[in-house]
Amino acid sequence: MTSTTPDLIADLSASRGEPGWLRERRAAAWHVYETTPAPTWSDEEWRRTDTSWVDWAGAAPATNGAEPAKLALPMEVSSASVLLRQRGSMVEVLYTSPEAHDAGVTVVSLAAAANTDGATVADCLGTELAPPSAGKLQAMNAALWSGGAFVRVPDGAELTAPIVIVIDAADQPVFPRTLVSTGAGSSADVLEWWRSNQAATPGFANGCVELFVGAGSKLSYTHVQAWDSHAGSFLSQYASVARDAELATTNVTLGGRFHKGAIAATLTGPGANVRLNGVAYLDGEQFADHHTLQDHRTTDAASDLLYVNVLDGTARSVYAGTIMVQPHAQRSNAYQQNRNLMLQRGPRADSIPRLEIMADDVRCTHGSTTSTIDPMHLYYLGSRGLGLEQARSLIVDGTFEPVLDRIPDATVRSAVRTAVRAKLHGTAAA
Amino acid sequence: MPRAPSACPGFSRKNRRKLGRAYARCYVWEEQLGPARSPTRTILQPARIVFLGDHRRETHSLRMTATNGQTTLSIRDLHVSVEDTQILRGVTLDVPAGEVHALMGPNGSGKSTLANTLMGHPAYEVTAGQVHFKGQDVLELETDERARLGLFLAFQYPAEIPGVRVASFLRLALNARREAEISVMEFRRLLMEKMQMLRMDPKFASRYLNEGFSGGEKKRNEILQLAVLEPELAILDETDSGLDIDALRIVADGVNRLRGSDLGVLVITHYQRLLNYIEPDRVHVLIDGRVVESGGKEVAERLEAEGYERYGAAAASEDA
Repeated sequence: MTSTTPDLIADLSASRGEPGWLRERRAAAWHVYETTPAPTWSDEEWRRTDTSWVDWAGAAPATNGAEPAKLALPMEVSSASVLLRQRGSMVEVLYTSPEAHDAGVTVVSLAAAANTDGATVADCLGTELAPPSAGKLQAMNAALWSGGAFVRVPDGAELTAPIVIVIDAADQPVFPRTLVSTGAGSSADVLEWWRSNQAATPGFANGCVELFVGAGSKLSYTHVQAWDSHAGSFLSQYASVARDAELATTNVTLGGRFHKGAIAATLTGPGANVRLNGVAYLDGEQFADHHTLQDHRTTDAASDLLYVNVLDGTARSVYAGTIMVQPHAQRSNAYQQNRNLMLQRGPRADSIPRLEIMADDVRCTHGSTTSTIDPMHLYYLGSRGLGLEQARSLIVDGTFEPVLDRIPDATVRSAVRTAVRAKLHGTAAA
Repeated sequence: MPRAPSACPGFSRKNRRKLGRAYARCYVWEEQLGPARSPTRTILQPARIVFLGDHRRETHSLRMTATNGQTTLSIRDLHVSVEDTQILRGVTLDVPAGEVHALMGPNGSGKSTLANTLMGHPAYEVTAGQVHFKGQDVLELETDERARLGLFLAFQYPAEIPGVRVASFLRLALNARREAEISVMEFRRLLMEKMQMLRMDPKFASRYLNEGFSGGEKKRNEILQLAVLEPELAILDETDSGLDIDALRIVADGVNRLRGSDLGVLVITHYQRLLNYIEPDRVHVLIDGRVVESGGKEVAERLEAEGYERYGAAAASEDA
C-alpha cells in the first residue's frame, strides 16, 4: 500500500481537478512525511502523549463514496453568515446570507479555491504557518487533505453572523484542512465543528488550520472537536496576527478517545492582540493534550491564554504552554493560565507552563491550578437548598463559563455552551 | 384527611375570602403535615399567609396572635466537636417564630460553630443533644434539606464560586424551595426589587458569585439571598464584620424589613453595634460553648459597658 500511496495521491488530485502546483506540493509533503521520523517518548513534546496506536505506515488518502455520519446541524442555518458542510470528502455550501454575499466574503471548499483563488491559496497554504517541515502530522495532512474550507473576508467587510464549517466524518480516516484569511479592517467569526458518531467513526483524524489575521482586522475562531468516543484526533492550528489585529481562538474538546492539539499564535505586528481560550471536558478513558505557543515576534503586542480542563472517570489531560518573547519584542504583554478541575480521584492532569523571554522590557505571567471540587462550595450551595448533584453540575458549568464567556459571538457561544452542557448532563448525541 | 383551613386561629369568613391564595396554601400544608403534627400547624399556616404582600396590613394582627410564643428552632444540650476538640458543651436555646434573638460571645466561644452545626457543615460533629426546627429533627437532614425546610445561614465568609452568576444561582436556589418553577421574567422582577431594597447595582446579578466582591458586597449578597429565598429562620453569622457604617445600615435595614412573624432571626455578633440597628427580642451570651445568660436587650447594653470579663473564667478564652 505504502509504495502506491504517492500514485493514489496524484490520481485523486487529478480526478478532483486540482491544479498542478497543488499536486506537486502534495507529492513533496508526502516525501517529507515518509522521511520524518514518527514522534517518540523521547521528544519533549510527546513525552506524556502515547502515539504508539497510530498506524504511520498505513496512512492513505480518504477515497470518495464512504458513508458520512448523519448528524443534525449545530444551529439554525439562517443564524449563520455562511454554512459550509463537508461530509467525507464532499463539500457543499448550504447557506449564504445576503449580508455575506454583499460583503463579498468567499467561503468555498479549499480544493475549489486552489483553482478560483489560486494565488492566495498557493501563497498561504502550508507555507508560512504549517509547512510540511513542521512535523510528521503536518506533512501527512498536507499530502492527504481532501475537501477543506477556504474563508476569505475582504478588506473592511464586517459580518454580524458567524461563518460555520461543519466536518462530518465518513467511515474512514479524515484530514480536515481550513484556511482563513481576513482582510485589513475586516471582522468575522468562524466556527468549525468536527463531528462523527459510532456508526461512521473516522478512527483517525488529522486536521490542520491556518489563520491569517490581516492588519486591523478582528477574527474569532472557535473549534469544536466532537468526534465519537473511538476516534483518535490530531489538530494543528496556527495563526499569524498582523499589526493592530485581534484574534480570539477557542478550542472546545469534547470527543475522541485521544486528542492532541498544537495551537500557536504568532504576533507579527505591533498592537496585535491575541486571546487563546480552551475548554476540555473529558470523561471515561479520554486523553487530551494541548500544546500552546504564544510567539511574540514584535513590540507592543498582547496575548492572553486561558485553558480549562474538567476531568471525570480516569481521563487524562496534558497542558503545556509556552510564552515566547523574541529578543526585539519589547513591551510584550503576555498571560497564560491553565485550570484543571478533577471531579473524582481517578483522573490525572499534567500542567507545564513555560516562559521563554529574550527581551527585557516585558510583562509576562502565568499560572496553573489543579483542584477537586471544594467541599466548602458544595456546602455553601447546599445551604441554599441545592442538592449535591445540582451543586456539582453548577460548579462544573461555572468552571467552563469564564472561557465560554470569552467567545464574542452570541450564536457561537450558545451553540458551544449547549454542546458542553449536553455532554455534562449525559445527553450527548455522539 | 385535610382539615378545613377555617380551623386556623383568627380565620374569619371575611379574611378567608380576601386571602384566597393563602387559603389554598393552608390546605396544602394541612395535607402534607397531617393531623399527627398538628402542634406545628399554627406556626406554618400564618407563615405562608404573609407572602401575600397585598394583604399584609389586614393579616398582621392575625399573624401576631397566631405565632407568638411558638418555637421554630429548639436546641437542647448541644455538644459539638471539631477534630476531637469540644467546642460546644451543652447549648440550649429556643428561637420562637418571628422573633429576633442575638447570640453574643467573645472570639472562640463557639458562635460560628453553632451556626454551621445548625446548617450541617461537614466538619462539625454533634456528640450529644438535639436540634429541632419546625418540629423536625434537623440533625437527621442534609444541608440542602435543612435549607429547603426554611433554614438559612448568612455566612461570615461566603464561598467564592467562579463562573456561577448570582442571578442564575439564586433562581436555582429559589426553585429548589418552591413547588412550581418561577418564570425567568417573574424571577427577574423579584430579584431587581430585592436588589433595589438593598441598594445594589443591577449589574451585580450577572457577576460571578462572590468572586472579587468586597467584604461589604459579600455581606449584602448574603442578605439579598435571604430576601429572595424567604426562609423561616435566618442565622446571621457576624454579618456586621467587615461592614462600614453605611453598609451596616443598609444591611440592617434589609433585615428589619424582612423580620416579622414569618421570619425568625438569630443574629450572631460580638459587638453590640449591630443591635443598635436590629433590635433583638432576646439576647443570649455564649461563653466557652455554653449559654451563660439570656435576657432582654439590656444584656447587650451591659455587655457593651462591661465586656465579657464579668463572666469571669470566660475571659481566659478570649484571645483567639
